[in-house]
Amino acid sequence: MKNIDRRKFIGTAAFAGMGLAGAGAVLSSCKRKTGPTDLKLPPILRGAPKGKKLRAGLIGTGERGTGAAINFISSGPDLEIIAIADVFQDKIDAFRERFASFNLPIPVENCFTGFDGYKKLMAVPDLDVVILATPPQFRPEHFLEAVMTNKHVFMEKPVAVDPVGIRSIITSAKKAEAIGLNVVTGTQRRHQEDYIATYQQVMNGAIGTITSAKAFWNQNHVWYREREPGWNDMEYMIRNWNNFCWLCGDHILDTHVHNIDVINWFLGKHPEKAIGYGGRARRVTGDQYDFFSVDFDYGNGISSHSMCRQIDSCANGTGEMIVGTEGYTNCQNTIWDLKGNVIWKFEYPKDENGVEMESSIIPAYVQEHMHLVYAIRTGNYVNEAEQTAISTLTAIMGRTSAYNGRAITWDEIFKSDMDLGPSKVVMGPVNMVFEIPVPGTPVISNVTPLYKGQII
Amino acid sequence: MNFYYHNRKPFARRSKVWFLFLGILTTVLVIYGGNKALKYTSADKYCMSCHIHPAADQSWKMSTHYNNSSGVIVSCVDCHLPPKGEGYFFVKVKTGLRDLYGFYFKDSTKFDWEKKRLLEYAKGIVYEKSCLECHRNLFPVTLSVNGGNAHLFYTTSEDPLNCINCHLNVGHYDKNAAAHGHDTTFGVTVTSTEPPFTGPAKVERFEDFTEMIPGSRVSFKMVALQGGTFNMGSPEKEPLRDPDEGPVRKVTLSKFWIAETEVTWDEYMAFFSATASQGRTEGQVVTTIKADAISGATPPWGAPDQGWGRGSRPAITLSWYAANVYCRWLSQVTGKHYRLPTEAEWEYACRGGTETPYFFEGNPKKMTSGGFLKKLIKPDTSDIASRVVYNINSAFRTEEPSFVKANPFGLKNMSGNVAEFCSDFYSADFYKADSTGINPAGPVKGPEHVIRGGSFKSDAKDVRSAARDYTKTKAWLVTDPQMPKSKWWYSDCIDVGFRVVCEIDSITKH
Repeated sequence: MKNIDRRKFIGTAAFAGMGLAGAGAVLSSCKRKTGPTDLKLPPILRGAPKGKKLRAGLIGTGERGTGAAINFISSGPDLEIIAIADVFQDKIDAFRERFASFNLPIPVENCFTGFDGYKKLMAVPDLDVVILATPPQFRPEHFLEAVMTNKHVFMEKPVAVDPVGIRSIITSAKKAEAIGLNVVTGTQRRHQEDYIATYQQVMNGAIGTITSAKAFWNQNHVWYREREPGWNDMEYMIRNWNNFCWLCGDHILDTHVHNIDVINWFLGKHPEKAIGYGGRARRVTGDQYDFFSVDFDYGNGISSHSMCRQIDSCANGTGEMIVGTEGYTNCQNTIWDLKGNVIWKFEYPKDENGVEMESSIIPAYVQEHMHLVYAIRTGNYVNEAEQTAISTLTAIMGRTSAYNGRAITWDEIFKSDMDLGPSKVVMGPVNMVFEIPVPGTPVISNVTPLYKGQII
Repeated sequence: MNFYYHNRKPFARRSKVWFLFLGILTTVLVIYGGNKALKYTSADKYCMSCHIHPAADQSWKMSTHYNNSSGVIVSCVDCHLPPKGEGYFFVKVKTGLRDLYGFYFKDSTKFDWEKKRLLEYAKGIVYEKSCLECHRNLFPVTLSVNGGNAHLFYTTSEDPLNCINCHLNVGHYDKNAAAHGHDTTFGVTVTSTEPPFTGPAKVERFEDFTEMIPGSRVSFKMVALQGGTFNMGSPEKEPLRDPDEGPVRKVTLSKFWIAETEVTWDEYMAFFSATASQGRTEGQVVTTIKADAISGATPPWGAPDQGWGRGSRPAITLSWYAANVYCRWLSQVTGKHYRLPTEAEWEYACRGGTETPYFFEGNPKKMTSGGFLKKLIKPDTSDIASRVVYNINSAFRTEEPSFVKANPFGLKNMSGNVAEFCSDFYSADFYKADSTGINPAGPVKGPEHVIRGGSFKSDAKDVRSAARDYTKTKAWLVTDPQMPKSKWWYSDCIDVGFRVVCEIDSITKH
C-alpha cells in the first residue's frame, strides 16, 4: 500500500503552488529576443490609414512649414490644417492665400501672430496634432508647450541650437512618451524606403563590421535677406534666420544634420568626441561659417569624416558612405564589395514605360507624416524626438569644436550650459554682439611692416 | 484472505481522501494564516508599536508621503522593504530579527535618531527599487526644467545614484533639512550692529596675532609656529597606519602662521558677501594675487550649512577651488599672504611636537570602533573624546571650536571635526619620492588634492596625525544637477573644510 505522508503532501502542494507562481514569473519575464529583424524601422506605407479626423495646427508658416502642412494633409484621409501661427502677419497671409487656392480656407480667428502665437494656437480646442516648423531656436519651448497641452507632434530637424535646448527636447520627449503622445521628426532619410532597405542589408552583415564612415553636404551658397528699412534688429534676424547661429545653429545643423543622423543610425550610437575645423570665406550676412570639416570619433578606432560647405563653384554633393570589413555602401541604395563590384542594389519602382525610377513613389517627407498618422490611428507608438536630439547634439559638438578649436567630448557637450540667443525674445533693438567665432588664441607678435607693402 | 484484501482497498481509498482533505485544509490554513501574519506584521500600526518615537512616527506623518494633496498614504514597508519578488521576504525577516533584538536588548531612548537620518544610513534601509515601484514616471509633464535636468542626469549617469541622494527627506519630514531651491539670498543679510573693522591687523613681529577682516566684524587668531625639522609620517609599527603614511622622513619647515581654528562660516560669509557672483554665471578665474576684483562663489543650491547653523562652526561643502579663491581674497583685503597649508605644514602643526599617533596619549587600536571585537569591547574614549570631534562623540555634524581642547601648539580641531584641504596634490608614494624634505609642496601634478585630519564621520584610525586622505571631486559632485557642475560648492560632501596659513613674507615686506 502506498502510504500518504501528510507532511510530504503539504510540501508537495506548497511546491505545486510555488511551481505555478514560478511558471508565471518565468512566462512573464520571457521577453522577445531581439534579432536582426527587430530593427525598429518605421513602416513603409502607401497612405495613412483611415480613422478619426485629425485636426492640425502649424507653427511657422514659412516655406518648410507650408510644405510640411501640405505633406501632412496629403498623407491620408481626414487630415486638416485648422490653425496657423507665425511671428509675421505677411507669412500668415501668404499661407492662407495658398490654402485658399486649394479650397481649404483657414478661419481668421485661428490665425495667430507674434512670439506667443504658438501658445494661443495650442489653446485652440480640439486640436490633435501640431507641426513645428519655425527656426530651431524656438523648437524646445514649442515642443514643451505641445506636450503640456497633449498634442501629437511633427517637428522639423534640427530640434534645437544648443545643449540647453537639446536637454529640454529630450526631457519633453520623455514626458510625451509617458502620456502616449506620438512624435515624428523630419529627418527624411530614416523614412526613406531605399535607405531603410540598405540599412537592413547592412544590419544583416552585407558589408561586415563597420570600420569607418563619411558624411557630406557640400552645396552652393544659401539664401540670405538684406536688411530692409523699417526692420528692427529682431525682425531682421528672424527674416534672415538662416544666417544667424542663435536662430539656425549654423548649416552643420540646418542641413548636414541629415547626413550626421544617417551615420548615427547606421553605427547605432553617437560619437564620443569631435575635432573640427571651419571658417567663413564667402558668407555675406550673419555670424555663421560657410565650411566645416569634423572628425567624429565613435570609439574603437571608428571615425566619421563629416564635411559641409556652402560656397559656389566648388566640388559639391551630398550623401554618406559607410565602409565595413567586407564592403561599403552609400547608405541609400547600393552596396559594393571591397573590390568595387556592386553586390546589391535597391530596386526602385518602374514607371509606365518600364523604366526604373530614381526614387520611391512616395517622398520621404510625406512618408514621415503617414507614419505619424499611422501611429496615432493604430496605436503603434512612435517617438523620434530623442534620437533626433542626439543627432542634433552631435552636430552641435562638431560646430563647437570648429568654433573654438578644442576637442569636444560628448559628456562635455551633453552637460554644457551653452544657451544661445538673447535672454528675452522681443521685437525691437537687440543688444547682442555677433562676432564670427575664431578658433584658438592669437599669437602675440610685434611683427609690423617697415614700409607699406613690405613682405613680412 | 480475499475478503480482507477486498475490504482493504476502500479503506485505503477513504484514508487517501481523508489525507488529501486534511492536506488541502492545512495548506489553505497555512497560506491564509501566513498571509494574515504577513499583512499584520507589515501594517503601519505594527511598525509603530515599536517605532513609537516621533523621529519615525511624527516626521512620517508630516512628510509628503503622508501629508500630501492626493491623500495617498505610503506605508512604512513600501519604502523600508524592497518590492515583492525583489528580496521582500528576505529583508523582512532580516529587519524583523534586527528589530526584535533592538526591542528586547537595547534602550531605544539612547538611539541617535539624527545619525539615522543621514544619507549613509538611510541608503541601507530605503530601497531604490521601492521608490521606482511607485514612481514609475520620472518625467511627469509638470516636471520643472531643473527637475528634468536632474532626472536626465539620473537616467544617463554611469555612477550609482540613489533617489534619496536628492530626495532624502521625502519620507520623514525634517524642518532643518536643506532646502532645495537656489538660495540667491544666501549671505545677503547682515545682522551685526557693531561698527565693522576699518583695517586688518598690523603685524610687526613674528608672534601670535588676531586678524581682522576689514569691512566686517569677523576676526580670527593666527598662531606663530617656529618651524624647524620634524619627523613626518607614521612609523611602520604605528597601529592601524596605512602604507601611504610612510616612510617616515625628516622634513624642515620655515616659520609660518596657522589659524587656530578651521575657517568658520562667519569668516567664509564675509568673503562670500563681498565677492559672490550673481546668478549662474561662474566668476572669471583670477590668476594673480594682486588682481583688483576677485569673483567669488555663485549662490549655493539648498543650505550649505546643512541646517546645523553657521557662526563659528567650520565652513563646509565649499570646494578646494573656492578655498583657494578665499585665500586670495583674504590676502587682498588684509595685505598679507594667506594660502592653504602644505601637507607638511599641516602635519607639523597637528603633531604639536609629538611623535605619537595622536597629539595626546593613546593607542589607536583601543580607540577604533572598527573590527568585530569592538561590538563586544567598547572603544576607549577617555583621552580622545575631549580633544577630537569624531564618529563616537559627534552627533554626525560639525561642532564649534569650544567643544574641544587645543593641541600643544594651541590649535583646535586639527584632528577631526572637518577634514582640511591642503595645497598639495595627493600621491600615495610622495614620501618616498621627496628628496630634499625642505618645505615640501607635494607632487607637481595629480588628479586630486590632499585632505588631512579626518572629520566628525571618521573612525579614531583616521584622525591620527599622520593619516592621509584626498579630495574625491567626482563623488562629491555626484548629485549636482547643474551642467556643468559647480566649481564652488560640493553637492555631496559635508565634512571637509580648511584652515589658512599666513606666510612670513607678510611682515618682511612691510
